[in-house]
Amino acid sequence: MADQGPNAEKTDDELAREARAGSRRSFEELARRYKRRLFVYLRPRVGSDEDAEDLVQETFLKLYRNIGSYDPEFRFSTWLYTSAGRLAIDAYRKGAASKDKLAGESAAELPDPAADRDRDPRLSGLWAAARGLGGDRFRVLWLRYGEDLTIDEIAAVLGRTKLAVRILLHRARTSLMSIAGPSPARTIAPAKAADARGARSG
Amino acid sequence: MRCFFARRAISRAEDRGTKLPQWVERHAGRCGSCGDYARFTASLKERLAGERPAVLDAVPEFPLNEAAWAAAGDRGAQERVPRRRFVLRPLPAAAGALVVLAAGLALLLVALREPAPSAQDRTAALAALKSFTAVPDRIPGVVTEAEFSLEKERRILEKELSSAVEYLQARLNIKIERREPRGKST
Repeated sequence: MADQGPNAEKTDDELAREARAGSRRSFEELARRYKRRLFVYLRPRVGSDEDAEDLVQETFLKLYRNIGSYDPEFRFSTWLYTSAGRLAIDAYRKGAASKDKLAGESAAELPDPAADRDRDPRLSGLWAAARGLGGDRFRVLWLRYGEDLTIDEIAAVLGRTKLAVRILLHRARTSLMSIAGPSPARTIAPAKAADARGARSG
Repeated sequence: MRCFFARRAISRAEDRGTKLPQWVERHAGRCGSCGDYARFTASLKERLAGERPAVLDAVPEFPLNEAAWAAAGDRGAQERVPRRRFVLRPLPAAAGALVVLAAGLALLLVALREPAPSAQDRTAALAALKSFTAVPDRIPGVVTEAEFSLEKERRILEKELSSAVEYLQARLNIKIERREPRGKST
């Protein structure tokens, strides 16, 4: 679906405020923007694409019903991911996602990073490796680098302390480097590469 | 151990968006694995953000069930109507009216049971009123009584004092004269 209409240029928070005021079109635009992102976030928690799609649908339905309780002081994405996480836990408790399905979070069943590269040259397999780290570590990486949330916001989404989030991020980065290897020189920005060279010579 | 702390410091600087401490920079320059970690951490944001569009494009297309939102909206509207009429439900309204009626009747009965004051009660009430009004007539008597008591006390004290003076005169062989108060001397 391509970006169309006047809503396409609005920010998420503007759309969320309009949706709160009763605009269904604004909510549809928000859902359109976030459905894939939410799918990526939820997919490692369930066994199949279909289960992930169901959870995405359920999350938007819940959000639409409760849009009146959205507090515009907070980012829409924080509210969305918090609700999605709770629904995923509920689904697990209800047995919608069996233990066998949740085993899908293990690295063995996830796509090979090399296969990712074959599918799309833009991919180096880093996100595939991140998915292989398991639930919490992948989620924290996605929220930090995929959604650009702050440590405070991630703590609110995951229901953890800021310190716990920082530790989780540190462990996720360390594990990711051990799987994916140190960053290739070509991906480092010139300024950062110069910094790194400076650090080595110093 | 130094590597452990250096990597934690690298992560902390990345999370806070601050510069690396100098000792960490020096350590990362000397230690290959910590240098790798510093470069990896510094490049991670750019790399992951760069790959994000491709990751999202790889998600299979699926339609959103917007009909369910419409149904949820309608159901929500339907649910809200009875809530607004909750007060007008006949059973709770009738119960409330009955309670108010019963309370009113009870008050009325209590008020009716109180007997009207008789002629004797009126006389007693008037007598009580008179006793209140009679109090000022007794006040001069009370004052006189108090003055008498004070005067009696003064006389006793005067008598004891003159007796003490006589004793001192006899004992010390001196003469003590009584001086009248200044007001009285004139």
